[in-house]
Amino acid sequence: MHTLAHPFQHQRTTNRIFESTVGGAIRLVTYLVLLASACIFLTIGIKGAQAVLAPKWPFVNVAFFTEKPSTLYVFDWHGQKLEMSDEQFRDFKAKNKAEDIPVETYAHSAGGILPCIVGTVLLVLGSMTIALFFGVCSAIYLSEYSRDWWLLRLIRLSIMNLAGVPSIVFGLFGFALFVGYFKWNISLMSGWFTLALMVLPVVITSAEEALKAVPQGFREGSLALGATKWQTIRTNVLPYAIPGILTSSILGVARVAGETAPILFTAAYVVLDKYPWQVAKWTDFFFQPVQALPYHIYVVSSKIPQNAYTERMQYGTAFVFLALVIMISLGSVLLRIRLRNKLKW
Amino acid sequence: MDETPKTAPPNAVAHAAIEVDHLDFFYGSLQALHDVNLRIPAHKVTALIGPSGCGKTTLLRCFNRMNDLVSIARIGRGQVRIHGTDIYGSKVDPIELRKRVGMVFQKSNPFPKSIYENVIYGLRIQGRINRSELDEIVERSLRQAALWDEVKDRLHESGLELSGGQQQRLCIARAIAVEPEIILMDEPCSALDPIATSKVEELIFELKKLYTIVIVTHNMQQAGRCSDLTAFFYLGRLVEMDRTEKIFTNPAEKQTEDYITGRFG
Amino acid sequence: MSHPFEAQLAHIRETLLLMSTLTDRSLSLAVRAVAERDDKLADLVEASDSEIDQLEVTVDDLVVTYMATHGPMARDSRLMLIASKISSNLERVADQATTIARRARALNKEPQLVAVTDIPVMAAMTQELLREAITSFVEGRFELAQVLIPKDKEIDELNRRIAAKLVALMMENPANVLRGVHLMTIAKAIERAADHVQNIAEEVFYLYSGQDIRHEQNA
Repeated sequence: MHTLAHPFQHQRTTNRIFESTVGGAIRLVTYLVLLASACIFLTIGIKGAQAVLAPKWPFVNVAFFTEKPSTLYVFDWHGQKLEMSDEQFRDFKAKNKAEDIPVETYAHSAGGILPCIVGTVLLVLGSMTIALFFGVCSAIYLSEYSRDWWLLRLIRLSIMNLAGVPSIVFGLFGFALFVGYFKWNISLMSGWFTLALMVLPVVITSAEEALKAVPQGFREGSLALGATKWQTIRTNVLPYAIPGILTSSILGVARVAGETAPILFTAAYVVLDKYPWQVAKWTDFFFQPVQALPYHIYVVSSKIPQNAYTERMQYGTAFVFLALVIMISLGSVLLRIRLRNKLKW
Repeated sequence: MDETPKTAPPNAVAHAAIEVDHLDFFYGSLQALHDVNLRIPAHKVTALIGPSGCGKTTLLRCFNRMNDLVSIARIGRGQVRIHGTDIYGSKVDPIELRKRVGMVFQKSNPFPKSIYENVIYGLRIQGRINRSELDEIVERSLRQAALWDEVKDRLHESGLELSGGQQQRLCIARAIAVEPEIILMDEPCSALDPIATSKVEELIFELKKLYTIVIVTHNMQQAGRCSDLTAFFYLGRLVEMDRTEKIFTNPAEKQTEDYITGRFG
Repeated sequence: MSHPFEAQLAHIRETLLLMSTLTDRSLSLAVRAVAERDDKLADLVEASDSEIDQLEVTVDDLVVTYMATHGPMARDSRLMLIASKISSNLERVADQATTIARRARALNKEPQLVAVTDIPVMAAMTQELLREAITSFVEGRFELAQVLIPKDKEIDELNRRIAAKLVALMMENPANVLRGVHLMTIAKAIERAADHVQNIAEEVFYLYSGQDIRHEQNA
């Protein structure tokens, strides 16, 4: 046994070696996870950049963000391979007075995805509003009003089960109820409610967590001053739970934006002529179908033959989609920070 | 020893703010209070002392019906009367009761709002919005709570930025802003250092001129310093209640003496 | 079962007990010095006086320390007060014993005056009083203390009778005056000692009953 320089010297025992090995292993696993996500992001980024970015100012492919999807025409012209969309081709033919040019056409591979972006944004906004309203109300009831009896446990169990229902089943349910029975047809309304139902368990759970995190002392202090239960919740509990609710509901946003199955037969069309705001009556706005980003990816990936041009569109859409979700998350985080500064405890 | 109900000494003050008659109180099937009889006189400080689990906090929370928040809590037989009215009667609204019977908690719970908003919280929920009236009430309450000089320049800062002792005084100011008649204090100084404690005790001494105060405390010295009357509880029963000087120099019951001299257990 | 602070309280009580034992011894030695005309006994009494004085200081010190550190209540707080008072009273009894011893030594230089038998009787009564007061303190029997208090009156009465007798003796013959004065002083000292013992009894009564009965005899 060697003598120690001082009593607190590090001892190289088996336990301590194991300790540092475990630390290193955990670190390694985390880096692997990061690596995997990096691969995904990079793939989408690099491949999608071809469609989304442009070499010159403004460095984004403006057409991609402002036009509807249209068919791509690829043809030879005096030895050059040119690619053009529908309209461009017609103009080209007119300009060059060439009637018949042998072309290869690729559906959905030209133009842009503006309608899809608009559609997804509308779907997210609407469904999250509905989900937040119903979800927060339910969470308030479950955590503040209900007494702890068998019915409460049954309700919680049902909510947990709802979380496990496959999204396609939601789609079928939405189709049967909103599209069929309520006769809303394939529309924003049907999509909103179907998506809201799907994301409801997440919202309820996160809202309940956020409400639970508010210290009991706030409630007691308020009630002891002669406030009613609702006054207490409205002024002293809910405001402090909102940052938490919003942050946790981000998960919900990503899901709502990205799920294809629920909107498959309730809200989405492959292609539409008009934009959602181009309606005759304002009430028609709610009952019109929309295009959506995830659905567009599905269409471009599976409904038409695959090639380099369609792949470009797929990744481009995926890129935009990711960017959108990241922006929404960031926005939510910023909102949370701002609210937290105002309402922190 | 025969457990005959103990009553207040014969020379109890004529005006009793709170009267408790043969009170039994339960949490589900567990009986927390057994046949409690006492009178709490107005404009005096009454201390409730006893070992953990003896029922003193349960009794305190009966006075403003905060026990109603616990679903399994219920009153058995007996009455609790405040100014003559049975507060567990059918016509009594606990919300109105709590406006007249305020409470200060063991762990100070200032709301994460500004100091100003904290103090007027009780008034806001009653719908009072006259700004000048509220300003006046804020100043008056903070003065009574001996906090005005320390915070008058920062009323719009968060209440959470105050020290522990200041936070507790803020909670007291908040409670007295609604002008209750009775203030219940549940171990108000247990989380405070000696200096903050002595400030709160000075405050209690001043406040009793305007309010009736009932204080639950584990600190024997505090009960001795602050209170006019002391009631000793054990296992849900009132063992003895008398003037504080008597309880602390020569209590009638051996149990009381054993507890206050530290020979319990 | 017993708490650490109880040892400190017991220490105070034991010191008082020690002091009372020494005081009792001093008193009986002093009285014997008179009866047996023995100077050596008188010396012993004077020697032990300083030890008793020191114990009074010790008791007061223990009391103040305990009060400052423990904040005693009820019975314990009463113990603090009367421990200090009892030690003071015991010290005064010891002082009276010293007075008796000095006078005994002075008397022994002279031939014995008529044997004043009342003095030993008074002394015995006083010693008995002291022992019973201490017993009531140790055993916590305050009813015993209550009984002792009237006995002090008998001792006062005895003192008056002795004084009258001695005055008569002194008036009879001027040669008796010196010895007579010594004897009167001794009797007075015993009577004062009995007063202090009565105080001790009242204090013991207060300790155990919580009632203060001092000075009621004079009311």
